[in-house]
Parts: sequence; structure tokens; C-alpha cells
Amino acid sequence: MSKVEVFQQQPSGAVAAESPFHFSRQRNPLAPAKGEAGVIMAERPFLTHLILRGTPEVLLGGVRNVTGLTLPQTPCSMNSKEDKSLQWLAPDEWLLILPPGSEFSTEKALRGELGDGSYAIVNVSGGQTVLELSGPNAREVLMKSTSCDLHPRTFPEGRGVSTVFAKTGAIIRRPDAQRWELVIRRSFADYLYRWLLSAGAEYGITTQER
Amino acid sequence: MTQTNRLNKGGRIDRQRILNFTFNGQRYEGHAGDTLASALLANGVNVVNRSFKYSRPRGIVAAGAEEPNAVMQMGATEATQIPNVRATQQALFEGLCARSTNPHSELLSTLGNLFAPLIPPGFYYKTFMQPASMWMTYEKVIRKAAGLGRSPRESDPDHYEHIKRHCDVLVIGAGAAGLAAALAAGRSGARVILCDEQEEPGGSLLDSRELLDGRPASAWVESVMAELANMEEVLLLPRTTANGLHDHNFITLYERRAEHLGDLVPEIDGRKPARACLHHVRAGQIVLATGAHERPLVYASNDLPGNMLAGAVSTYIRRYGVVPGKRLVVSTCHDDGYRAALDWAEAGHQVVAIVDARKHNDAATGHWVRLAAKQGLQIIYGSAVIEAKGKNRVTGARVAEIDIPEFQTRGSVTDLACDTIASSGGYNPVVHLASHTGARPVWRDDIMGFVPTKMTGLIPTGGATGIYALADVLKSGIEAGSEAALACGRQSPEIDLPEVDRIEIAQAAPLFQVPHPKTTLRAPKQFVDLQNDVTAAAIELATREGFESIEHVKRYTAMGFGTDQGKLGNINGMAVVARCLKKSIAETGTTVFRPNYTPVAFGAIAGPHRRELFDPERYTALHAWHVDRGAAFEDVGQWKRPWYYPQSTGESMHDAVARECRAVREKVGVLDASTLGKIDIQGKDVREFLGRIYTNKWEKLPVGKARYGLMCKDDGMVMDDGVTTCLGDNHFLMTTTTGGAAGVLEWLELWHQTEWPELDVSFTSVTDHWATLMVTGPEARHLLAEMTDIDLDRDTFKFMEWREGDVAGVPARVYRISFTGELSYEINVQAHYAMHVWKKLFEHGDKYGLTPYGTETMHVLRAEKGFIIVGQETDGSVTPEDLGMQWCVGYDKPFSWIGKRALTRPDTRREDRKQMVGLKPVDQTVVLQEGAQIVFEPKASPIAMVGHVTSSYYSPTLGHGFALAVVKGGQKRMGERVYLPMADGVTQVAEIVSPIFYDPKGERQNV
Repeated sequence: MSKVEVFQQQPSGAVAAESPFHFSRQRNPLAPAKGEAGVIMAERPFLTHLILRGTPEVLLGGVRNVTGLTLPQTPCSMNSKEDKSLQWLAPDEWLLILPPGSEFSTEKALRGELGDGSYAIVNVSGGQTVLELSGPNAREVLMKSTSCDLHPRTFPEGRGVSTVFAKTGAIIRRPDAQRWELVIRRSFADYLYRWLLSAGAEYGITTQER
Repeated sequence: MTQTNRLNKGGRIDRQRILNFTFNGQRYEGHAGDTLASALLANGVNVVNRSFKYSRPRGIVAAGAEEPNAVMQMGATEATQIPNVRATQQALFEGLCARSTNPHSELLSTLGNLFAPLIPPGFYYKTFMQPASMWMTYEKVIRKAAGLGRSPRESDPDHYEHIKRHCDVLVIGAGAAGLAAALAAGRSGARVILCDEQEEPGGSLLDSRELLDGRPASAWVESVMAELANMEEVLLLPRTTANGLHDHNFITLYERRAEHLGDLVPEIDGRKPARACLHHVRAGQIVLATGAHERPLVYASNDLPGNMLAGAVSTYIRRYGVVPGKRLVVSTCHDDGYRAALDWAEAGHQVVAIVDARKHNDAATGHWVRLAAKQGLQIIYGSAVIEAKGKNRVTGARVAEIDIPEFQTRGSVTDLACDTIASSGGYNPVVHLASHTGARPVWRDDIMGFVPTKMTGLIPTGGATGIYALADVLKSGIEAGSEAALACGRQSPEIDLPEVDRIEIAQAAPLFQVPHPKTTLRAPKQFVDLQNDVTAAAIELATREGFESIEHVKRYTAMGFGTDQGKLGNINGMAVVARCLKKSIAETGTTVFRPNYTPVAFGAIAGPHRRELFDPERYTALHAWHVDRGAAFEDVGQWKRPWYYPQSTGESMHDAVARECRAVREKVGVLDASTLGKIDIQGKDVREFLGRIYTNKWEKLPVGKARYGLMCKDDGMVMDDGVTTCLGDNHFLMTTTTGGAAGVLEWLELWHQTEWPELDVSFTSVTDHWATLMVTGPEARHLLAEMTDIDLDRDTFKFMEWREGDVAGVPARVYRISFTGELSYEINVQAHYAMHVWKKLFEHGDKYGLTPYGTETMHVLRAEKGFIIVGQETDGSVTPEDLGMQWCVGYDKPFSWIGKRALTRPDTRREDRKQMVGLKPVDQTVVLQEGAQIVFEPKASPIAMVGHVTSSYYSPTLGHGFALAVVKGGQKRMGERVYLPMADGVTQVAEIVSPIFYDPKGERQNV
């Protein structure tokens, strides 16, 4: 057995999968907003989420070779390319988000590149999900939820922070000027779903399946 | 009733729009643009409330936040009741329904006046303190008699919002100074918030006699507001009060979005807006442009309806087109008091006299004084109104010459017939916000007022800092806005000030309490604090009784204790104290200013954090199934865990738990254990790290095996437990208690980062990633075998081992660990697929009698086995040895693990420590109460407590009640009897037994 147990956790056959918002959508199906929706919520379910731990020196080259992404070293920043993103979470911690289904192959490839060094890679894909917010009032809804300053002057595109959100935590990211992304823990998803519906009600809020 | 006091023209009201409202059940009409106060005055309503202590009639005094009397109970229905609304700040709307918080009662009024001499300051303290136990009763009666309003008894149908904001510059107040500051800051490109508490911006400019650029000042207000509204980085918040200023420029803004729209928030475009929003603002710089409150003069019977602030008289005339009387006497000690007389005369009503405390020579240079003289108004110099006459309304003013330094009147007293007395003693800069963080304001003799002390990030401007001449106010506003922008790295362009005629102002006289021919104690009441019925005599008496500190005087007399926080009266009160103690006002000082500036609705404080959003509910991936199955839920931390699953036939909890227990012991059960904390640990030094964190040994745990671990704090007390599995030589999975997960992760990080950074180890929470399905019971192997490719043979997959394989088509890690004492397989799959696997289990499980069980059954089963629950058997004062878990302590480990040293302290070595044991009630039908106190000698007195019951259940397997408990020296007292005296007088008897009640050799889990 290898020193770290890397495990293909994806079923090979057809198995019903439920994203963290599955129950919330069932319980609170959202009628389309009356009039123009100020906020549009869209889950991007089942993405690959990997936590990388280690020093930049150890991770940088291997991560670039495997993902094509540069390890961001500026605190609270992220690098994205197409449907991949790599976000700084702490001086020795990054969040790698990739298209669905790539956790096993990516971890294998990364471990192959990085060899026997001091680092950790942890698959957390089942434990969190990405919720995208857009629309003219998306920022107001976030301002109701976090003490972070989200103004473009202090929260430009490419910034991402892990912070207090409502009465729990979330990662807030701004991949581009139009969209905000929240990375939300599975067990808090329903609470945050209801929280966001409440916060967005005054602007008209709607969900979009992708 | 007609609006007898309404002028035919003038004011900023819309005469075309008539609004109906009721006050104390009586119907009235007002206009759009009115406040409730201006509408009441228009209708000639004199008495709006009764006073706190003496039940005296009270009328409207002011036109803003400082109003002490017109305090209303609002609301047309029970659910929409709001107490303590100032009529001067409440916009009129159609259907508004208001009542006095303290309506008239003949009895109280008579009693109040009859016994007034018997109610000295400190009356409440002196009378109601004994016996202390009665205070709660007294308080209710006093509160009701005092008319402090009441809260609704039904839930509020409206909703409230919170929002967090950041800005470079927060400008508080949109009067002349604030508008100028916002303009300067806004043009610099800074992020600006401008808030103002009134219905419309402009402050004193809305009723100013002065012209800006040759036009009415309100036109300038409109042009500035239009420009600000077009600036992208400027946020305008009307009807928004800055309520509290806290450390590091954190300010709460209370925005009333719908209080002016109706009793209930109306729907707008199909959506119901929030009634109010609380903004939590972090500002780089704060420009304090809160202006000043006019200070009334203190004279005898100054509380009669018809006594008003001079500035308020002007405001009602010029802004609302209401003249609140027919014949006016003005009593003032500075020029601005004359403006009320000029406005009154221009409205065509009679000005009886202007009584000026200054000598002719000192006053006559003033612009407004000369204008009044030119218009032929009668001016009486060197004098003051010393007393108002009347019963329910002023009918006359008694005027006498006064000597301010000597505090006495001279010569004879003249009676002037009038129905309104407007007084002005100068201005109090509104320093409240600048003082909320504890900074004391500073007295300035030249302006006779307190101004804010210097604070980082706070720039007072205009009236708030004692600048009153309009030209100077505008200039100071521009400077403040530019300074604030500059501090945020932005440059304001040059700004042209509007042109204002600079008018001559004569020096004011320092007049607070007006002398009376009688002494203060013998003169008719001279009110300092109208809301709390505090008189100058009461304050003088307090100083005579030895209260010298202004804080003590405040508490003894209750001055400033009302919902108005003494905005009108406090400075006068300090002046009275200063006079009595022969000190200066600067030496006397102010009392502490506290948030909130004006009352805030509780709904706004709660915001959206109520009901289901009050606290997060955490759900597992299987939550929907539990809900559908009708589970009763238990809160474990923030998690909702199935407690038990009653059958639809109305099964009781006792029956459901007994059924679930039997299913696990006899067949097979399944538990959603996903809430257990799970921490993925990787690195070359994990074994070493675990050996230091846990009490037991880890260096030899091979790959493929799992081990139970106990975690102690450095005081040697158990803090957590759980099974940790070796997945690879450098890879472990730690499980923690459900409630302890976050704390344990922090604990690991703390020790790694601060004490042992040299160890190669890193921790990542995977609690939410893995769903955990615990299949347990004699039939567990048969059931699982149908669904998996893992070899479940008892000799290849042993107890305390794990395997990987396919379960119901999903890759899974299966752990053979047990919290029930039965054959158990803990299936872990990525949470997305948990529901699929769970449902497949039930498809296969029917024939084996698969039964879902909840936390209550889990508790019973583990207790039968003597397995502890951290937080139930332990409470932070229990060592591994107290639990009898010496088998789980590696005394000879080479590195001193956390808690080891503490276990050698004399206290942890005591033989009479409380130790965990089992208790078997002698009466087999009894289930002991959890928490019940244990004694050895029930007849002794005093009775010595020797322990308590930590867990107690009925065991359907054993057929009797049983308990776990901690008992002093219990491990050596096996077989002895203990007694549990209960609150109902019954004493239970139990025998101390081993805590392992079932399968003591542990054979069932190894099968």
C-alpha cells in the first residue's frame, strides 16, 4: 500500500447523486421572481474540489504541470482558466476546483509530479459546492451576509476570501465582473439557501438550473 | 375639527393632499408633509401627554429628536403597536393611529399634584427598595403609571433587514454643514454615505430666513441633493438615524424605510419592502454634521402647554405652515430667539413682547434685534419670563428684570397676557455620537456649550462643533468633507460656496435657570427634564443631600433617564448643579452618552435573524429521508439528528426506542452517523503527532487498522474521544465527537502551529465530504454481503479493521468499529451518493428486519456497554482514570503527551475522586433521573453529595432501568448501595455495579 491512500470515490456506473442543495430545492422550489429578478442563484454541482496543503516551493511546479494553473501566492487571490480555478486560502493552503469527476485522476497525477515531499491533497468534493450569484443586486445580497467589503475597489475580480457568512462561514469569490461565487459547506447549504432567499426577496430572486 | 392653526399659505406641506389620522381616539386631518406633531398643533391640540410623576398636562415643545413630551404609542392594531415614537419625527400618513403613552387620569393627576411635595428626588429609591423581593412588583406598577409605552403582544407582521456597509466618508446629518461636506467628499470620488434622520434633507435650511445665492436655502438643498444623487459612489440614506458610534468607526444606522408609509408596510410593485434596515457601517472617516439642539430656559411652570422652543416655533411656521398660538412672548438671551418673533409677526399673529436677558446696549447690534426693533416689536431688555401662568395652556407670562451673576430678580413683576411662550437659552451641539465611545465632550465658554473632544477619524463640523453662522457653517462643512476625503487618499476640488449675507450677531448672555422672586425650592416648579419630571428644586435638593458628582445627581433625580435621554434638559441640569455647588459647568461635566441616540425597534435589531434563520441548522445528506420517515429530531450542536423514528401509528418515544434497541440487538439497525467529526491527517509524522495528542499509543498501529483514542486537555481532563484509522503510513482519518469537531481541529492546529511546527502533518476537515452509515446488529454481515464485493469473512475482515470496496455500486470505505457492542460495519461514501446507498440498504434490508434508529437508541445501546459520551459522562473535570480507562493510557510513551503530567498531580491521584461506575436501581422498574445527586448516608445532616447520575435509561434488553454515574471512590465500592434523594421526597436506592451491563467480554462485536 502506498503511504497515502488515494481512493477513486466516484462510482463507475449510473448512480443517483444528490448535490448539497438537492433537499433545499425540493422543499423550497422557487417561483420565478415577479418582474425582473435582481438576483439569480445557480448551483454548479458536483465539481471537483481538492484541498492542497504545503509550501509554494513544493507545490508550484507540479500544480502547474498538472492543472496548467499558477499557484496564487498573493493572499486572498485566485487564478482561473476556463472551468478551472485555484484559490489561496492560507499561506499553506489552496482550493483547486475542476470540472466534475476529475478528483481521482488529478490527485494521482499531482502525487506523481510532487513525489514524496511534504504536502497533502485532500478530496473534499462531497463536502462543499459552488453557488453562483449574478444579477444587479447580487452584491447587496452578499452585503447583507458578510462584513467583508465587496466594493470593486477592495474586492476586484480575481479576489476570494474565506470569511463569516450569515451565521456560518463561506468562501466568497469574484471570478469576473458579472458573477460572484460562494463555496458552501454541504451541511450548511440548506440554511444558507433559505438565508439567501430571505436576503434576496426584496430584489426578486430566482434560481437557474445549469 | 378644523385645522385652526394652519396658515393659508407657506410651508413645505401639500395642501391638496388631506390625510386623516386619529389621536387618543379623536379624528383629525392633516396634510402630506406634516409630522404628527405639526398636524396636532395645526388642529390646536394643546395637551399631548401627562407627565411621568405629577401627571401634569404637557404639550409639544420641540420639532425634532429632542422632543420630551409628545411621545406616542403608535399602531392601529395589536400587532403593529410601537411605543415611544416622537410625534415630531413621525411623518403623517393616511390612517395613522396614535395615543398618548400616558393618557390623562383625573385620579393620578389629583394625586400627583396633591402629593407632589411628598415625592422628593430619590423617592423611588427611598420608598420601593424594601423588601427587595417586591421590586419586581413595584417596577411593573411604576412603569405603567409612568407611561413608558408598551410592546405589542402579537408578532410583528413586517420584516426587517440588516446590511453591512463600508465607506471612505460617512456624513451624519444633511443640514448645511453635512450637505457641504458630502459635496466636497463626493466630488473627490471617495465612497460617501450621507444619512439624515428627517423626512427630507436640509436640516435648518428648510426653515431658514437666510438666502443662499439670493434664493431660498431650500433651493440650494435641492441642487446639492440632485448632484449627490448622480454620483456613483455616493449613497443617500434619508430617514436614517446614526444611532451608535462604536470603536474603530463602526456606526449603526437605523433606516426607517416604511414608517412614513402606513401602519403596515404596503406592497410596492408586488413586493413588501422591509419596515426598517439596520446598516452596520465601517467608515474610514466620519463627518459629524449633527447640528445643535436649542436649549430652553428654565423658569417657573415652564411645562405648561404653550411653552415651546423658539426655534421650534419658527420651524412649525415656516416648514409646516402652522402657527401654534395667537399671542406670543419670546424669552431669550441671544439673537436667534428673535427669529421666532419675526416669523410669528410675518404670519400675521400678535407678538406681545420679546424679553431679552441682555441689556439694550449688549443686544442692539444684532441683525435680528435691529430688524425686530425696526418692525416695531416690543422688546423688554435685561429681563426674562420668570413664570408662565395658566392651567391647561399658557394664559400669561410673568416678566421681571433679572441679574444673572447674582441669580435674582429686581423690581416689580409685569404680567403679559399671551398663549405661547417661546424660549431660547442658546444651543447644545449634538455631541452624542462623538461621546458614545467614552470620550467626554469639552465645554466652551465662548459658545456656552459642550463640543466633541478630538477623536481619530471623526471630524465634527457646523453646529455640532459650535459654529452657527450660516456662512461659517457652509465653509466648515466643505473643509470637513475635504479633510475626510484627503484622509482617505482623495483630493477634493475647489468648491464655490453659495453666497450668504454675513449678518451681525451680538454676544449671547449665559442664562440657564431663570431666577424667581421666590427661592428655587419655594417657587412654582421650574422643570429641567420634562420627560422625567425633574425640577431645578429637585436638583438643588440633591446637591444639598450631598450628591456632588453629576452622575450621582442624575441617578438620584432620574434626570435624563427618559427615552429622550435628556436631550433637552441635561445641560440646564448641569448648569443648576454648577450653580448650587458654586462650580463652573466645565467642572461639573456631563454624564455619559450611550447608544442609541433615539429608540430603535427591536425588530430592526433582530433583523432577519429570527425563527428558522436564528441559528443555522446543519443537515446530513440523508436529512430528506429522515424527514419523510417522520423522525423526531434532536439538536446536537447545530446538527439536526434523528432522535427516534416513531411509527405512524402514534408510537410513543419509549416504545419506539425499545423497538429500535431490540432490532439492533436481535437483527440489524442503521444509524446516520454522518455528523461525527472527521479529520483527514497526512504527513510523515502523523503517528508521532497522534501519540502526543492522544493518551494512548499510536506508533505501531498498522495500515488497515483502527484504534480508539482519548484526548485530554493539558489539565489531564478528557476533552474528546473517537476512532482513528491508519489509511496509509502517512495518512490517517481521525473521528471526533459531533459537537467537538470544530474544537478538535482547532486544538490540533494550535499544537501543531505553536508547539510542534517541526512535525510534518496537516489537517483537513472532511466531515461534510463523507456520509457515514452505521449498519449494526447480528444480521449486519448478511445484509452487507448482498451489496458489496468486500470479503466480509470474520477472519479476513476483523474487528477494528477497514476495507475499501464497492457498496451498492458506490466506492466505499467500510470500518468494522462498533458503538453498540454488536457486529457493525460503518460504511463511508462520498456524500453525493449517500442517499443512493441508504435506499439500497433498505431495499435489501427488509428481510433482515433492518430498522433505522436514532440518537436515543444509540445512547441506550452504548450505555449498556459502558461506552462514554464526552460531555455526558465527562464535564471537563474527569480524567481517563476516573473513567476507569487506564487501558487507554500509554504511561510509558517516550514523549510527554498532552495531559500526562497533570495525571501525576496530588489532586488527580486522590482515591476519593468521582469515578465512573454503573448503577442498578434496586427497584427494577425505576429509571433514575439524569443529574440526580448521589449520597452514601441519606439520614445524615448535612447530607454529603458524593456524585451524580450521568446517563440513565430503561434497557429493553436487560428488562430494567440502569445508569452510569460518577461516585467518589466508586471503583472500589462495587456492590455497595447508594441513595438518591429526589425533589419529590422519594429516596431511590441503587447498587454500584460495573458500567458494562451487556456482553462484558465484548464477544458480540467480534463475531
